[in-house]
Amino acid sequence: MKRFLVVGSRDLTEYVNGKYVPLVVEELRAKGHDVTLFLIENGVIAARDGSKAGKVLNGLSDKGARVYAEDVSCRARGVQTLASGISFSNLDFLADSIAEGFDNIVWY
Amino acid sequence: MGKTEPPGSKKKKTQKVAIILSTGSYQREAPTTVLRLAEKLLERDIEVNVFAFEEAVTLTNRDQIEHNEPPSLRKVLGDRHVYVGKFVDQLLRVGLHGAKMDWVTCVLCAQERGVENHQIGGSIVGTLGDLWKFVRGADHVIAIPTYR
Repeated sequence: MKRFLVVGSRDLTEYVNGKYVPLVVEELRAKGHDVTLFLIENGVIAARDGSKAGKVLNGLSDKGARVYAEDVSCRARGVQTLASGISFSNLDFLADSIAEGFDNIVWY
Repeated sequence: MGKTEPPGSKKKKTQKVAIILSTGSYQREAPTTVLRLAEKLLERDIEVNVFAFEEAVTLTNRDQIEHNEPPSLRKVLGDRHVYVGKFVDQLLRVGLHGAKMDWVTCVLCAQERGVENHQIGGSIVGTLGDLWKFVRGADHVIAIPTYR
C-alpha cells in the first residue's frame, strides 16, 4: 500500500479532464492505497454543500479517501458549508503532509 | 474551522522539494499558492527548488512595478497593487538564515518573452539541466500543470 496525495487546484467541472480526478482517487482506493484528496484554489468549488460534484466527493469519502478543502480558498469563494464527508483544512496540513506523510504527490 | 492532522504513519522526513511552475503573473492563482506553500515548507526546514517554465518566467521580471489601484478600489485594496516578484524576493531572502529556496528561470522561455536580462536578483537563468538536477535531488517533485 502506498500513500497518495492528490491536490485538486482546478474546478473539477471547468475542464473535461476534471472528471478523471475522482476516478483516479477511486481507482487508487480500489487498489488498496491510502489516498488524500486536498482541494485548493478553484478546486474547493466542488466541495460546496449541495453541489453535484460534492456528492461525487462524498462518494470518495465513503470509499475511504480523505477529502479536504483548504480554508483560505473556501473563504475567498464564499464556501462556508462543505458537502458531507469533506473537512476543512489548511496549508499547514498540506506542508506537513508533504514533509512527512506521502509517497506520491499528484497536482491537478 | 476544524483543525486536521496529517496522515498518521510517518516516513523519512522530506528534505528537498522541487516545484515546476508554468503559470505567469495575472493568469491563475497557482503562483500565489506555490509561494504560500514554499513559505510553509521553508518554515519546516525543507529546501525548495522552483523551476519556472513558460509564462512563469515573467514572475521574476524586475521591471514590474507596484501600480496604483483605481481610486474606487483603494479603500478595499490599498494604494498599491503589489506584484508576485516581490514575494519571490522575500522568500529568496529567507534562505539567508534557514532552509533556502532556489528559483531558476528557463532560459529559452525567458528569451522568447524578452525577460532574460530583466530578472530580479536571486533568480537564476538556467536550463533543463538544472531542472533535471532539481528532480534528481528532490524527495518530492510537484509539477503544477499549465492551464489551457
